[in-house]
Amino acid sequence: MVRAGMGKYTFIITEKPDAAQRIASALDLKGKAKRMEENGVPYYIAERDRQIIVVPAIGHLYTVAEEKSGRNYYPVFNFRWVPRYMAERGAKQIRAWLETISKLAKDADTYVDACDYDIEGSIIGYCILKYACGNKERVAKRMKYSTLTKEELEKSYKELLPKLDFALIEAGRTRHEIDWLYGVNLSRALTIAAKDWSGKYATLSTGRVQGPTLRFLVAREKAIRCFVPTPYWQIRAEIEIGGQVFEAEYEKDVIETKKEANAIVEACKEKDGVVENIEVKKFQQMPPTPFDIGTLQSEAYSLFGYTPRRTLDIAQRLYLDALISYPRTSSQKLPPAINYEAILKNLSGVSEYKKLAAELLSKKELKPNEGKKEDPAHPAVYPTGNLPERVLEEPERRIWDLVVRRFMAVFGEPAIRQSLKVCINIDGQRFFLRGRQTLKEGWLRFYEPYVRSEEVLLPPLEEGQRLKARKIILEDKFTKPPPRYNPGSLLKKMEEAGIGTKATRADIIQTLYDRKYVRDERMVVTDLGFEVLEVLKRHCPPIVSIGLTKKLEERMDKIQANQEKRENVLLDAIEILKPVVEELKAKEKTIGEQLSNAIKRARLEERIVGQCPLCGTGVLMILYSRKTGKRFIGCTNFFKKQCNAAFPLPQRGTARPLWRNCRGCGWPTVQVRIKGRRPWNLCFNPKCPLKEERRTVEMHHMR
Amino acid sequence: MKCTICGREAVENGYCELHARAYQSIVKKYEVWRKALEISWKEYLSEIVKNPFTGEWAKEVAEYLIKIGEEEGGT
Repeated sequence: MVRAGMGKYTFIITEKPDAAQRIASALDLKGKAKRMEENGVPYYIAERDRQIIVVPAIGHLYTVAEEKSGRNYYPVFNFRWVPRYMAERGAKQIRAWLETISKLAKDADTYVDACDYDIEGSIIGYCILKYACGNKERVAKRMKYSTLTKEELEKSYKELLPKLDFALIEAGRTRHEIDWLYGVNLSRALTIAAKDWSGKYATLSTGRVQGPTLRFLVAREKAIRCFVPTPYWQIRAEIEIGGQVFEAEYEKDVIETKKEANAIVEACKEKDGVVENIEVKKFQQMPPTPFDIGTLQSEAYSLFGYTPRRTLDIAQRLYLDALISYPRTSSQKLPPAINYEAILKNLSGVSEYKKLAAELLSKKELKPNEGKKEDPAHPAVYPTGNLPERVLEEPERRIWDLVVRRFMAVFGEPAIRQSLKVCINIDGQRFFLRGRQTLKEGWLRFYEPYVRSEEVLLPPLEEGQRLKARKIILEDKFTKPPPRYNPGSLLKKMEEAGIGTKATRADIIQTLYDRKYVRDERMVVTDLGFEVLEVLKRHCPPIVSIGLTKKLEERMDKIQANQEKRENVLLDAIEILKPVVEELKAKEKTIGEQLSNAIKRARLEERIVGQCPLCGTGVLMILYSRKTGKRFIGCTNFFKKQCNAAFPLPQRGTARPLWRNCRGCGWPTVQVRIKGRRPWNLCFNPKCPLKEERRTVEMHHMR
Repeated sequence: MKCTICGREAVENGYCELHARAYQSIVKKYEVWRKALEISWKEYLSEIVKNPFTGEWAKEVAEYLIKIGEEEGGT
């Protein structure tokens, strides 16, 4: 513990313990900061020209809360910032943390905020300096950095910004306060309405961004569930060239009537084709742009199936390990100041990157193919050049590799590709044979194995050449419903619509799952999700209006740019919210009934496993025995004495229907989750061939 | 009045807002199917019930229409 009288020192506050350790080590002259601990709170002492005490926070230590205590009432318009332990259950440790910070800050004479340089980081630092350090926010200096590498941290400490970014803090505070006002009032209105009607408690929530996001999902769900496909036909011809068979497409992509399709097939049957002309096109494929957090999340979802939340968490860990730059960025720019050459030289230390990095380093000039998006605080996500000091877990290794290869790819030359379109005339009907070939790989080499480009090589052909049409294929087709959103595409949609921030979008999507408004990876809106949106649309349309949310976002951005006053935005937001909450209060009974019924249906839906494979008419459900209280899967026809299907389930953990059938026997399946174990999918059919197979293999091994 | 299919509040032709939308979609698409396959309204309904791409609510409405034997356009 730092004692009074030890002399004046510099107090640095960071957002997370890992960052504190990195900063302290970087600033200590010997690179070995001393780790201390007080009340279970770690902190570091670094020796430089003077003593520096680096103390971490654990994210937000302060939050917005109502002035009056209690959770069962609304509207609430009076709020204040309080330590989290006063507002949240399960945040008790924050008290010890704040006490330690206050003690350590007491005798300092210089204060530095070294939290992440973004809205959230700025509020974390501001609140601690103001409330825990005794109004030091006006005298504190600011460290600004985008990577946790020694060089950048030292530079940032030497070139401290003279004051905190108050415009950014004001914008952040306003965002937190407005989101809290909307979230608390609307969520309480829904939860209390449902509880008062049914007597049963269920957490329902909505918010300024959550409502419009749910609206996107519901609109898509409605389109899918009301979808009626349109029939159409496609024709292909199997063409033989030099012993090889290629497929050529009919010139019209869509044939609208069966009559017309049949006539074309008849006309082409058993006739040869003639090459009418050959069209060759060369085109450039530009390198990709550097990763901003949104594109990194989308790419990681499509390549590895990671949810945006997961990618963000992994990226955050890599950032704290100083392997990549700050990930919560909207920028697609890589300024030369990050030192491209040094990064590439360091990456050469990894055998997989050695050749590629050397190739880039041999170029006369390194110029990244930057995108349009900018972020005033941070550049795009890039590898720092540091190599892992520990063995990375597989998901971490994948994301790091993706960031490294993307970084290299943006400096690559454009790829040159060639497309070939051969027009084949079969008795007056035209078919196209298409080829695609890469002539010069350019950046594609650097982005292997994440490149998605198809190569179709055609043999040499010339105009007038006769070709044999082996077969004419007629295909019945139907238009497909629009695809369901997945967490990645929903995040993209939110970004395009300009709602939420890069720091909050992933959490909002997770909340939709937690509240059971949606289920599955390909997001299906539940009955509860429909009803919540229905209630909001009917009784408070502005709350789910994308326009309103976007407008508020724009005004908050203006606060950040010193073009708007925080008080005005806050007052206007309350003006919009007040009548909405009054309306909800007035119609509490109707809303309560609607939501309670939906909750009941949702709870039932959660237990339905699928069609009973034994009787074929009943539904299998997760049931509980009245005698023993044990859970099992039973058929609804049991109560009509028509079916006695019953299957045991593990009693520990949770079991939920998977709405997917077993690939071995086609029976419905459930997923079982037990704390500390990986969830597993369970087929409860005792005679499932897969189980038999497994048993045989086990017996074989035993023998 | 309740929706004849799901029991929600009915808003149009005895359907709730969701099934009414599905019904409109069915009626609207019939002309395309008729031209494409030269089939009757009843044949069309059984085709869309069988089709894996038909949405859940559209299927429910089509099944209901087959059950009550409704002719084209609600007659």
